[in-house]
Amino acid sequence: MAKVQVLNVAVLDNPSPFGNPFQFEITFECMEDLPEDLEWKIIYVGSAESEEYDQVLDSVLVGPVPAGRHMFVFQADAPNTGLIPESDAVGVTVVLITCTYRGQEFIRIGYYVNNEYTDPELRENPPLKPDYTQLQRNILASNPRVTRFHINWEGLADKMEDSENVDPSPNISSMLPPSCIPGKMPSLGLIPDNSMDCM
Amino acid sequence: IGSSLTFASCLLCFTGKPIFSVDIHPDGTKFATGGQGEDSGKVMIWNMAPVLREEDEKNENIPKMLCQMDNHLACVNCVRWSNNGLYLASGGDDKLVMVWRRAAFIGPSTVFGSSSKLANVEQWRCVTILRNHTGDVMDVAWSPHDMWLASCSVDNTIVIWNARKFPEMVTSLRGHTGLVKGLTWDPVGKYIASQADDHSLKVWRTVDWQMEANITKPFSECGGTTHVLRLSWSPDGQYLVSAHAMNNSGPTAQIVERDGWKTNMDFVGHRKAVTVVKFNPKIFKKKQKNGSSPKPSCPYCCCAVGSKDRSLSVWLTSLKRPLVVIHDLFDKSIMDISWTLTGLGMLVCSMDGTVAYLDFSLDELGDPLSEEEKNSIHQNIYGKSLAITSTEAQLSTTIIENPEMLKYQQERQNSAQANSGPGSAGPESSAPKLNSVMNGESLEDIRKNLLKKQVETRTADGRRRITPLCIDRSPSCLQGFLPGAVQQRSNLAFGLLHHRQGPGGQQGRVCSLLLTSASKIEPMKALDSRFTERSKATPGVIAAISSTAGLTPLDRPKDPIIPPKDTKTKEDTSSDSEDKMAVINKNLTFGKRKPDLLMDGGEVVEKKKKGRPRKDKMATTITQPFTQTIRVAAPPAPVAVLKLPTPSTQKAFSLQVSMEPSVFLEVENEVSLVAGSKLSQLRCSRDGRDWDTLLPSSVVTAAGSSDILAVACEDRMLSVFSSCGRRLLPAIQLGTPVSALHCSAHFVMALTAGATLSVWDVHKQKALVKNESLLTILTGADTTVSQSLLTQQGVPVIGLSNGKSYCFSSSLETWTLIADKGDSLVQCADFRSCLSTHDAPVSSGPLAVMQGRNLNAGRLASRLSSTPHHLQQSMTLAFLENQLASALTLQSATEYRYWLLIYARFLVNEGSEYRLRELCKELLGPVHKSAATAWEPTALGLRKRELLREVLPVIGENLRFQRLFTEYQDQLELLRNK
Repeated sequence: MAKVQVLNVAVLDNPSPFGNPFQFEITFECMEDLPEDLEWKIIYVGSAESEEYDQVLDSVLVGPVPAGRHMFVFQADAPNTGLIPESDAVGVTVVLITCTYRGQEFIRIGYYVNNEYTDPELRENPPLKPDYTQLQRNILASNPRVTRFHINWEGLADKMEDSENVDPSPNISSMLPPSCIPGKMPSLGLIPDNSMDCM
Repeated sequence: IGSSLTFASCLLCFTGKPIFSVDIHPDGTKFATGGQGEDSGKVMIWNMAPVLREEDEKNENIPKMLCQMDNHLACVNCVRWSNNGLYLASGGDDKLVMVWRRAAFIGPSTVFGSSSKLANVEQWRCVTILRNHTGDVMDVAWSPHDMWLASCSVDNTIVIWNARKFPEMVTSLRGHTGLVKGLTWDPVGKYIASQADDHSLKVWRTVDWQMEANITKPFSECGGTTHVLRLSWSPDGQYLVSAHAMNNSGPTAQIVERDGWKTNMDFVGHRKAVTVVKFNPKIFKKKQKNGSSPKPSCPYCCCAVGSKDRSLSVWLTSLKRPLVVIHDLFDKSIMDISWTLTGLGMLVCSMDGTVAYLDFSLDELGDPLSEEEKNSIHQNIYGKSLAITSTEAQLSTTIIENPEMLKYQQERQNSAQANSGPGSAGPESSAPKLNSVMNGESLEDIRKNLLKKQVETRTADGRRRITPLCIDRSPSCLQGFLPGAVQQRSNLAFGLLHHRQGPGGQQGRVCSLLLTSASKIEPMKALDSRFTERSKATPGVIAAISSTAGLTPLDRPKDPIIPPKDTKTKEDTSSDSEDKMAVINKNLTFGKRKPDLLMDGGEVVEKKKKGRPRKDKMATTITQPFTQTIRVAAPPAPVAVLKLPTPSTQKAFSLQVSMEPSVFLEVENEVSLVAGSKLSQLRCSRDGRDWDTLLPSSVVTAAGSSDILAVACEDRMLSVFSSCGRRLLPAIQLGTPVSALHCSAHFVMALTAGATLSVWDVHKQKALVKNESLLTILTGADTTVSQSLLTQQGVPVIGLSNGKSYCFSSSLETWTLIADKGDSLVQCADFRSCLSTHDAPVSSGPLAVMQGRNLNAGRLASRLSSTPHHLQQSMTLAFLENQLASALTLQSATEYRYWLLIYARFLVNEGSEYRLRELCKELLGPVHKSAATAWEPTALGLRKRELLREVLPVIGENLRFQRLFTEYQDQLELLRNK
């Protein structure tokens, strides 16, 4: 059983301008005193096409962690725009929060992120070169995707037992936004680009 | 009679996965199941109401499942509720035992990140993980009164855990040479029995955890194995019934008699091995038929037997044949049976993943004895009643009449909930405490400033390190900040967010955006894999992760959209899946399957002997020789008259007599010769200021306090000086050389070699103790003084080499015994439950010093729990009263108060109203002033009425004493208003 359970993640300062730092308030519970620190990371997926564009926005050690319930705010700078493919700047991507203990990742929390221009003008006619100052970042905070991995809490990473076998298959159903009733969902092509108006 | 039996049977289909264990909560409102989950073990808690009543089953507002826990990594073999219902223990193939407790203050909530709409109605959280077994845990069992939790495993051992102090291990029982697959406690608490694959059933004593009996004969023929061997002890304690045994090559359940562990009887008739035996918790007596003359009948027990042959038989010990046999209820072997506490209902689970409910009527089973009657049977047989628990249970329904009382009751519940050990049961319906505060700051405030406030440092290699804010020290303490509460808050935040965003709402907008552009679907699918794929590299520095391994978007099938139907079949194994739950709930159908009533095949080989009351040997090992390590003083001087050793004269010595202020003494003997006489010098340094004086004889010993200094010389003269070096008393001539000298405050104590004791009050220039002989207490040839001290109040205390400590009471003018290290009362008194969490144990008072470490509050007592309760109660009472009296005579106010509160708490716990009333009366004194009253308003400088004010809340914790509480509360109020 995992010694650390993430109880809640609150996304702070959301939505916010693209350049604002990410802020996650993380609440977790620990079953027993941890002799080593937890390592938390925020990973920004620059492009869906390749992991090459993943950026680790920051990593922090969190400790000491005695048994009990704890919270902290993990703040990390916005992604380096220079590392994001221009074609992927606007639209949907993902931000990941991962936590590792003794070098083993035991939880991965993912959020969809939508980057879009707030100005209708820009939205209609986005500039070829993305204008990051005008982009708004919106994290779909209500729908975290949590994947938990079994790890060896006692020993070292190399002693880990069949961790590959316990990786869960993705729960695709949870990807569907709660507001969309699956049966009634229109085919995607019919939805206009600017869906905000139609909702 | 068989055909006239009526009982209902419901089948609950759960998951299709094997269910290995079932247990009904003591309050009968819910039950737990344990078994195999998707990729883990699964513990589930179910609502009992839909099982019992069809209308509740159909009512969609009544939840069927209350909670599910996936924490076990592998199959759960056993789930058991503690007797007080507060805890659930589960053991599984992952070698772990987990103990669960309900988080009282949170309502339905989902697991973070779970998409499940079906919330856990109740929140049960793992409060302890017990790790010791090296193989699958097969069975767990709570001892009567929840003192211990036992677990057995395929590692051939049984581990006894201290249920009051998880995860402390009491012992590990070794002796089985095969997989241990079943456990049962003797209802009286004297034994625990285990059954293993090594063809043996072993009975272990709880006094010393040694083997009492090893029963092998009925099992020698046993071939093959069963998954479990759940044996059971009858509620009257007289019979133990095993699982899988053999008699004439037929499978049986062996009856083992407590008296001599005889194995003359068995339950015969099952075609395959017996996997589980479970006694009905009730003892029954024959129902009086209308018209028939009432004649006294022997009470009997009822026992259910489940087998690998998929059938269940129910037996009454008064009948030769089984009451009922049910065939073909399941498709696979029966794994576990649980009776309701009423004794009329039963849940049976099977490897085929179903649970059946069977309902019996009083006509079939007989009249259950009341708890009082059951207790009187216990009392008759064992001289021990189990009544304490039952009366507590009754009290919980008592109406609280006094608002002050209610306050104390609530405080008590809160503190009980804060304690992690199984304590007193409190109703879980206390008011939600969502707006908890820490140091006067609400969680809201903390969260607002968390980023600014949290401590962030840099490690040596320049990495950020955040110290998390601890919002709740112990995970088992479920008050205050709970995940549900936190979640509610964040939902609230979202609500505000929606408002700001205007109609449509944040959520909906983002969601729709996610699905809008077709061009984004491909990337989104690709993004999906990111959610679940573990990072390939986890560099500690900020760097882009580049990895080509794993699923790249190009590898994935290019479906334009995932059909919703597909989602139903896929399950996120790590978090709870709503789909799975929906399926389960659909399957929770209660098909009323008509069971086949077959009365064949069963036969009791020998009729149960009439239960004759038998006096068990009362605990004989109460007192044990106590090894003591006491510094034995040098052997007495050879001179007959000199009983006690004397210090030898040194040329020079120094000592620190006081820390605050810092006072040092330096003695130099025979410094100068003046007119042929030798002079000795006494030098004193006090806070850097020195003084010195000369004495005509060599100084043998010196002592001092912050107020005074005393020196004894070779010429048996005792001199006393003030801290500034002024002589306070004329030189005192002692009869014999001094053996020990002490100063404390303004008191001087001299113990002479002639075994006499004197104490003087220097301020008053009076003797408190005048040359008292120690001969009265120095009994025995080798007894000598090992320790002596003088309290701040001038009470002399003498510790002897025989472990006894005395003080001389100047008011009683006699020696009084204050501590005896060999005293059996000390070892057997069990008042740990009365120790308050608020008061730190007094470790510095004279009483504590003299009693030393031997006072391990009932260390031994817990091991002697089979000591008849009333005996232990009396010993504890006697011990506590001794402590009080000792503290009083030692004039140790803090210790007196400390022991008084423990004493009061003990009286409250044990329900000794008579003593409690006398104590209150003494503390209150006369309410109306009268001229001649012997009542002293203070004891050792403590105001008695203030003490009463402290004692009253303790009394208020027990509802039974609410009248007493009110009475004295009112009188105190009356006095205050005067």
